[in-house]
Amino acid sequence: MRGRFSLRGRVMVAYGLLALGLSSVLALVTWKVVSDYLTEQRQSSAIVETSDNAAAFHYGVFGAPKPCNPAREGAECNSPTPRADVDVQALLNSLPSTDAASSMVYYSNRWYASTGRPSDLPPDLIATVLDGHTAHRSVTVGGQHVLAVGVPLRRPGEAFFEWHPLESLDNTLRTLKITLVVAAIVTALIGLAVGRLASTLALRPLAELTRVADAVARGQLDARLPAEKDRDLGGLARSFNQTAADLERRVAADARFAGDVSHELRTPLMTMLNSMQLIQNHRAELPAPVREPVELLGDDLDRFRRLVIDLLEISRDDGGDQGSREIVRIADLVRAAADATAGREVTTVAPEAEGLTLQADKRRLERVIANLVENAEDHAGGCKGVGVEAGGLGVIITVDDAGPGIAAEDRDRIFERFGRGETSGRGRGVGLGLAIVARHVQWHAGTIQVTDRPGGGARFVVELPAK
Amino acid sequence: MAHSLLLVDDEPRIRRVLRLALEDEGYEVAEAANGYDALAVLRREPPDVVLLDLMLPDRDGFTVCREIRRTSDVPVIMVTARADSHDVVAGLEAGADDYVTKPLVAKELSARIRALLRRVEPANSRQSELLEVGDLRIDVAGAEVTRDGTVLPLTRTEFKLLAELAGAEGKVLSREQLLSKVWGYGYFGDSRIVDVHIRRLRLKVERDPASPKHLVTARGLGYRLVS
Repeated sequence: MRGRFSLRGRVMVAYGLLALGLSSVLALVTWKVVSDYLTEQRQSSAIVETSDNAAAFHYGVFGAPKPCNPAREGAECNSPTPRADVDVQALLNSLPSTDAASSMVYYSNRWYASTGRPSDLPPDLIATVLDGHTAHRSVTVGGQHVLAVGVPLRRPGEAFFEWHPLESLDNTLRTLKITLVVAAIVTALIGLAVGRLASTLALRPLAELTRVADAVARGQLDARLPAEKDRDLGGLARSFNQTAADLERRVAADARFAGDVSHELRTPLMTMLNSMQLIQNHRAELPAPVREPVELLGDDLDRFRRLVIDLLEISRDDGGDQGSREIVRIADLVRAAADATAGREVTTVAPEAEGLTLQADKRRLERVIANLVENAEDHAGGCKGVGVEAGGLGVIITVDDAGPGIAAEDRDRIFERFGRGETSGRGRGVGLGLAIVARHVQWHAGTIQVTDRPGGGARFVVELPAK
Repeated sequence: MAHSLLLVDDEPRIRRVLRLALEDEGYEVAEAANGYDALAVLRREPPDVVLLDLMLPDRDGFTVCREIRRTSDVPVIMVTARADSHDVVAGLEAGADDYVTKPLVAKELSARIRALLRRVEPANSRQSELLEVGDLRIDVAGAEVTRDGTVLPLTRTEFKLLAELAGAEGKVLSREQLLSKVWGYGYFGDSRIVDVHIRRLRLKVERDPASPKHLVTARGLGYRLVS
């Protein structure tokens, strides 16, 4: 349950079930009370009518009832004498029929009926009534739902029966049933809607939290939750904001540290670089034994310079450099950066990509291309070509190398700071170059990935959104 | 004849090593440790190029730059810690012609200096040395721009920029083209240098710099000069 439905879904279903339960109970109670009442009404009116008809029959057979004093004339009272000339069947037919479908009488040990068959009457009803009790049963006669009512006559062993159709009662009850079921369903739906509304209202702060947490995760470290007055949510908002502020401080401190270190390194580096340049300008005048050490020193000094510049670049990004965006013809930029870095023509531009422009920070994109080409040249057997084509997010830039390729498990790690493939056997000094590439591509809302180059080697694929 | 440089930096080791390296590149180098000294040297023996560190102890580099601009059109290259900072635009607004970032090497610096000292060459030889654009008269040989007989106080870089745009005869020049022609950069020069110089130039040659009639921006493409 927890896994399958969202919190909102669960709240909605809970509200819906609650509403359905309540409305069902209410509907059942209503049904019980109303149907019982209506049935009882119908039964009592049927009994009254049957009793009236029985009295009328009795009158017709025995004449006006004589005053009856049980103490003196009890036997006469209980067994009156019928009139001699009575036609029972005609009498039965002449009874007023309000809504009774049929009247039957068991008289002088034989059945008379206006319509209907006495054999349709339930035997136990006949037995009960002949025993001297008024009774009724609900039965089905010829496909019709009727109420059979029996009233004993004065003489024992004689009784008057009628059945009353229950069609209109049944119709009323059916209508009531449909109404109640529909009402229950509507109430349940309203419950769902209320649940949805309530959960949306209750979850709004949570949605806000999700949005802000997402922003922080994407690197927008200054995102904060608005101050929350609600007691339940205030604590969450406060501790979230506290955590985000701590994170921001730490990231800023890290960036400052890297920035400060490389900043401090720049002055001695400048002294060393210029001194080395002077020495190399006068290389010919150096004694033979020191020429090679000077060369070694020069190479490492150059590597050192690149590392400091990379550190500055990284700390600049961490320091929240806004950069500047301008409209750039991407083919020109890639050609200029790649060819200059490789020292030869390596760029191939697809004809449809020639005029493509994008909003870009030229300096950052130059670093992306230069670092990728440099990486191919220095660590992967040389750059085998740089391609620019339209497609993907807008423009696709590929940089191919002739190295051993990059193992699938290393393909994410190489973009981390000082990350290098464990198993690919790439040389030293990958350092920060690819990390800078990944950051700058991300800054442009682009993507970068490594694949295999057809024919061996690795292919770095950069996609940038065109404009 | 060797070009002379004025090196303004408060760090003695930097001054020392840059002087050694720049002298080795063939320049005459004078030094100043602060803005006050720099302005004094500038008055006493005007250099061909000033190399100005923006982080100076007595007054900041921007003030010194504005001071220099009040009296001189000498090319100023500022030295900044970071290319991305607002310092770059602020320094250019203060009148600097170009900038370099630390750690800088004498050889790269030398290339920047040579680009700034290069004389304006007319775009094609058929063109006369005197260009007229609207009410502006541009004397390429004399490096002078006059309007209604008055000489406009352009720096050398501003003049080169105006002359290149005039030489294009109304065609749009991209920022990359201008960076390459005026400052000697490749494709990746900082286009803010062009933008700020255009802004400065408009203040001097436009009658209403807010709605320029001559120096027109072609959005996303570059700039052109129309009469």
